[in-house]
Amino acid sequence: MVPAEIWQVKDLDKKKIRNFSIIAHIDHGKSTLADRILELTDTVSKREMQDQILDSLDLERERGITIKLNVVQLRYHARDGQDYVFHLIDTPGHVDFSYEVSRSLAACDGAVLVVDASQGIEAQTLANTYLALDNDLEILPVINKIDLPSADIERTKKEIEDIIGLDCENAPAISAKTGLNVEEVLEGIVKYLPCPSGDENAPLKALVFDSYYDSYRGVVVFICIKDGSVKVGDHIRFMQTESVYEVTEVGVKTPNEIKKDSLSTGEVGYLCASIKSIRDIHIGDTITLNDDPCKEALPGYRKMNPMVYCGMYPTDNNKYNDLRDALEKLQLNDSSLTFEAESSKALGFGFRLGFLGLLHMEVVQERLEREYGLNLIATAPSVIYRVTLTDGTVRFIDNPSMMPDSNIIESIEEPYVRASIMVPNEYIGAIMQLSQDKRGIYKDMVYIDTNRNQLIYEMPLSEIIFEYFDRLKSVSRGYASLDYELIGYRQSNLVKMDILINGEVIDALSIIVHRDFAYSRGQAITVKLKEILPKQQFEIPIQAAIGNKVLARTNIKSLRKDVLAKCYGGDISRKKKLLEKQREGKKRMKAVGSVEIPQEAFMAVLALDDDKN
Amino acid sequence: MTTRIKHLYLHVPFCNSICFYCDFCHRVYDEKLAYRWLDRLKSEIEDNCKDKYETIYIGGGTPSSLNEDQLERLLTMIDPYTGECLEYTVEINPESLSEDKICILKKHRVNRISMGVQSSDDQILRSLNRRHDFACAKEKIALLKRYGFENISVDLMYSLPGQDLDILNRTIDDILGLDVKHVSLYSLTIEENSVFGKKGIDHLDEDIEADMYELIDSRMNEAGYIHYEISNFCKEGYQSRHNMGYWDYDDFLGLSAGASGKIGNNRYSNTRSLERYLNEKDIRDEDLHLSRKEMMFENIMMSLRTIYGLDIEEFNRKYDSDLIREYPLGISNKYIEIRDGKMFCTKPEILNSILLDFMD
Repeated sequence: MVPAEIWQVKDLDKKKIRNFSIIAHIDHGKSTLADRILELTDTVSKREMQDQILDSLDLERERGITIKLNVVQLRYHARDGQDYVFHLIDTPGHVDFSYEVSRSLAACDGAVLVVDASQGIEAQTLANTYLALDNDLEILPVINKIDLPSADIERTKKEIEDIIGLDCENAPAISAKTGLNVEEVLEGIVKYLPCPSGDENAPLKALVFDSYYDSYRGVVVFICIKDGSVKVGDHIRFMQTESVYEVTEVGVKTPNEIKKDSLSTGEVGYLCASIKSIRDIHIGDTITLNDDPCKEALPGYRKMNPMVYCGMYPTDNNKYNDLRDALEKLQLNDSSLTFEAESSKALGFGFRLGFLGLLHMEVVQERLEREYGLNLIATAPSVIYRVTLTDGTVRFIDNPSMMPDSNIIESIEEPYVRASIMVPNEYIGAIMQLSQDKRGIYKDMVYIDTNRNQLIYEMPLSEIIFEYFDRLKSVSRGYASLDYELIGYRQSNLVKMDILINGEVIDALSIIVHRDFAYSRGQAITVKLKEILPKQQFEIPIQAAIGNKVLARTNIKSLRKDVLAKCYGGDISRKKKLLEKQREGKKRMKAVGSVEIPQEAFMAVLALDDDKN
Repeated sequence: MTTRIKHLYLHVPFCNSICFYCDFCHRVYDEKLAYRWLDRLKSEIEDNCKDKYETIYIGGGTPSSLNEDQLERLLTMIDPYTGECLEYTVEINPESLSEDKICILKKHRVNRISMGVQSSDDQILRSLNRRHDFACAKEKIALLKRYGFENISVDLMYSLPGQDLDILNRTIDDILGLDVKHVSLYSLTIEENSVFGKKGIDHLDEDIEADMYELIDSRMNEAGYIHYEISNFCKEGYQSRHNMGYWDYDDFLGLSAGASGKIGNNRYSNTRSLERYLNEKDIRDEDLHLSRKEMMFENIMMSLRTIYGLDIEEFNRKYDSDLIREYPLGISNKYIEIRDGKMFCTKPEILNSILLDFMD
């Protein structure tokens, strides 16, 4: 372990600094490589080492994904005899979190692109590479997992050269898992990635790329110093919000936070300035000195708007305030999460949440339930629709049940994405069929090598949310990968479909569907609900309807027999336990009128066809 | 206790073999062990029996698995408490009932026999690991009748693996042919710790089970049996008084390993472990002191099983309660009927879901 004093170097030579991210498709070994780099540079002792050390959320470790970005400063004694300072800025791999990726890339000068030698280039390899190129980053390709029997180093290099156009002559071939050749990556970073380009004598110009709230020190702001330097006692100004604070602490993460006297050009670290609320900070803002400001702010980031919405309701209505408190806390460190109060006839009081994507949604729900002990009902995810009324007014609708009456609607537009699918030859037909079924418009097909292709489709985001991704994985046996980006709104022939249970419209089950698919979706949903809803003491009709027109109908027959045959003196206890269990199950359901609806029913409108999976 | 206990249950924890649906972990009968059990039981009886009981029920397990001498000793121990007994039942299995044992039962004034017949289909009997065929059951019932036992009950099961409505129909024909006063018809419950449970045998479909229930109901009614409790049928006047005691939520004393009892607000279960029963002084597995609310619920749960319902006035007096006010949700259930001062369940076969409306 490097002693703390070493970090206190003053007047760092920026030529000895390398700021970089590791980018990769999910599961290509990004976090494992980060772990090895931390070990090799003695940043973390073996004793402290745990897998995926940069992933500090339990959820990240469990699911093997990175959600939040993280930054760490490392020291590396290179073969040229010089000591270098690295700032490794960890990034999420999943498409939902591409916002986080672009934030961290803006703080970098270079990127290490990890490609799995047994898989080759995948959709997010490309997407993340393009993000890096957009940020003018130098890229060092690294071929990983060469210990696997199915690894093909030469083919992978050729793919990178052909598709991305990166020279792979100097690309290290490594196994992050075993540690083989990882040192070559460190040498590569020194040799091929540039040092920061800023001017240490210019006025302070620092990029705010992340922040979190600490109850003792206030907001901890992560910054990358582009020009000049900042020290404790400086009066700094946030150029966008025009607020001024006095710096109380600066430091770097190693990955523990180490206080320093100052941060200079090229350094990536944190500062505290008694900032009370995370809402006072804009990610992408530029910090400068109040007395000696820089002329121009950095370009910052475009604000990421949520793409997917869903309602979340506590199963126990008394937990509404707890849910609000939990959401406020979560939002402090996840500015991409939005929420506002809403109410549902079926579910009572809850919130409509906006997410970057489905994984983001899952992660938030899981954190709310796990970290805040809440029992939640989530409604099916929806996109945000742009609705033009006959009087010309435009409304954005993120909750299908709020869709205005069809006779006052002029047109409905929905978000479209450009989807890029990487797929082996043998599955092209299946993927094309699937994409067409999901209203996809074929745009292009690019040959990656003799074996694989990249398909480009434009399709409604709502179809991606509605089982496209799952079906993609199943029809390609897991070999296809997907990336997508929003390309704008397009008019579609959409209608609101209501679901009626026992004659009552269940608002939380309403969905927006394309008219051509309404009948089959209605059938699928009613059948699915029939499976999910428990039999009750009376027959329950389930209907799918557009306006007054019923498209599909099925009945749940009434309960006919549910009682244990014997009940004598000795059977009372066991009988009561059984009833208690049933009652507990009932508590987890929502009573809508006289019908008990279990949680999973509210996701049933996604009506995944289990047989096809 | 100031009030007199009217019912005595005594559990014989031995069987000749283990049926595949049973999870009670009974001991396979062992002569030496059974003598030790009798010794232990003697002191338990002396410590606990104080009353003359209206009903006595010796169940199991299989009481007829005891040998003649042991059966004689057991019934002799009970003799002092039988003076005012209206109904004295002993459970028996066809294959272990001998003429000598019948004589012993008769001598000790046992007046009701409950025989485990389970099915009239020999193939099904084998699949349940029963050690008798239907002919044996028929023969023993005839024998019992010759010895003057006219109050005979038989236990049967339905919703069995491999059973369909046709097989069940033939079984009902055969059972009606036995001309007994009382029939208990139980749908199979797959217990986790039974052989069936461990083999992963599945329940029949709920609809088939319900069809079977309805077939049984209509055929037994046609044949002149009263369907007086979810699983019990009898000729007029032959309701099981002892079991009615459970369903009226009366107090009862339970003796021996595996028995349960209820005295006032104390409901207990004795250990199912014969070792513990033989060797330890404390034999309670469960010893609960029920709250008023719990007793009220248990009373409702038991009483709604029969066509005689729950006497509201008596209930209110017993618990200083107002049933109608305390269970607004329960009494509003469409299968709950209030008539002549009583509360009835008109669809007891879905009683579980109805009872949920009576919970808090």
